[in-house]
Amino acid sequence: MTFEENLYWTMIDIANALLTGTFIGGYYAMLSIGLALSFGVMKLVNLAHGDFLIVGAYLSAMILTVVSVPPVLVLIIVVPIMFGIGYALQRFLLNHVSVQAMERRGMSANFGLMAPILVTFGLSISISHLLLALFASDAVSIKNNLAFSAIRLSQDLSISLLRFLFFVVAVALLIGLQIFLRRTVTGRAIRAASDNPTFSSLMGIKTDHIFAVALGISLAISGVAGFMIGMTRTFQPFDGPQFILIAFGVVIIGGMNSIKGSLFGGIILGIVQVLAGTYFGPSAQLIGGYMLVLFVLSFWREGLFSK
Amino acid sequence: MMSATLLSVSNLNKSFGAVTIADDISFDIYEGEVVGIIGPNGAGKTTLFGMLAGTVGADSGTIKFGGSNISSTPTYVRAQMGMGRTYQIPRPFTHMTVADNMRVASMFAGGLEPAECGDWVKQVLEFTGLTSQKDMLAGKLSLLGRKRHELARALATRPSLLLVDEVAAGLTDAEVDEFIALIRKVRDSGITVVWIEHVMKTMLSATDRLLAIAGGKIIASGKPQDVIETKEVRRVYLGA
Repeated sequence: MTFEENLYWTMIDIANALLTGTFIGGYYAMLSIGLALSFGVMKLVNLAHGDFLIVGAYLSAMILTVVSVPPVLVLIIVVPIMFGIGYALQRFLLNHVSVQAMERRGMSANFGLMAPILVTFGLSISISHLLLALFASDAVSIKNNLAFSAIRLSQDLSISLLRFLFFVVAVALLIGLQIFLRRTVTGRAIRAASDNPTFSSLMGIKTDHIFAVALGISLAISGVAGFMIGMTRTFQPFDGPQFILIAFGVVIIGGMNSIKGSLFGGIILGIVQVLAGTYFGPSAQLIGGYMLVLFVLSFWREGLFSK
Repeated sequence: MMSATLLSVSNLNKSFGAVTIADDISFDIYEGEVVGIIGPNGAGKTTLFGMLAGTVGADSGTIKFGGSNISSTPTYVRAQMGMGRTYQIPRPFTHMTVADNMRVASMFAGGLEPAECGDWVKQVLEFTGLTSQKDMLAGKLSLLGRKRHELARALATRPSLLLVDEVAAGLTDAEVDEFIALIRKVRDSGITVVWIEHVMKTMLSATDRLLAIAGGKIIASGKPQDVIETKEVRRVYLGA
């Protein structure tokens, strides 16, 4: 190869890593927004987050075995169901072990920080085993004719059509969520309750309900993300933990309480993973990603985009 | 002429483990008065406010507000019914502007529609002298600003009863005088005030009636000057 050819391919590699990484970042953001939202609002570390993504994937796949419609239409059913699960979970379970619940009972607030983590850990185990009992351990995916389509930008540069669409959805959703939180009555209540639950109830806000709405939104978004998982790959009942690892990586980079941080954290993680994969082989992808997470954690404990 | 009873507390009990915070406490608050609550540190004054507002559960007893029994009513409903409360350590919603803090209070507890709350918020900000800081993030306010903000946000909930917890602590004499004037203005606007304070000057000059609490019991009640001269209060405060 001549020097010019070498240079050309190096440029293509880098351009490819930046493009692919950026668009994977949109997908990673979708996997993480729910986690960032529930932490940002309720200070809840939802260890069952990955399993709820898989629940969303199974729900989508199962509905499609019953009705034959364009796959994206299942979201009309999946999103409300996931919202309902999130709402009920917070309202009837997690609110009873929260910091405020512990304070009302005259117990140390520390119980309220610890108990929800244990509850979601238990949920994680229960959900994956329930999925196993219902669907066995066969790999499932959502069949679609977009999975292998690509947008060709030049002779040697292309991006996956699905990744591109996911990115657009992620950006639209993040903007929508920001507007919702800033401008609507419920959004203001969520922000007040996340700032200080006790004070917001003194301001007449029904925090139990508002927290339930927040977890509902978190799981509804995870439902969409689960659908995206099913569109791009196969999944099994015990796949939750690998997705929560991605989500933790993203929110550590982007900031635990920052919603827009999910997008930038996702993009940074995506680019680093693809670069590592390009230069050091596929097995370096995960290592590269987690080296980055450790690096960020060492120097910016609050994440790069934390408020 | 005696006004109507606004708040009626009967046989309220509360203990944390072996420590008794409220031992069969009963008292009434009448419409339009400013009642001061005094007592040594740890006497349970703030916990009493917590029980009135519903953030702390009582072990037993009855609380009636505006005629209805609110003993097991959740905090947010009590706020909507017209019970406002401020804390000794002000805690604004730090990521929101001062005006947004007021808006939240007036919409949820005050029951105003988003479109109507603008005028009310403006009034409250003017009343408390916060107009020039309305677009500031509440977390950036000075201590005095935060104290004003704390009072303003409670007023924005459109309360009929305002529970004020130690607003004078940490302020200069001139600032304390300003708050005394402010609380008088609050009373003149028709709001009943129950006020916890350590600074005796405020209690003597700004209240109609004092309740002295010690060891979970009300040890004296009546006109401010009379209360601080009772044997019980002198013993608790001066060890005499």
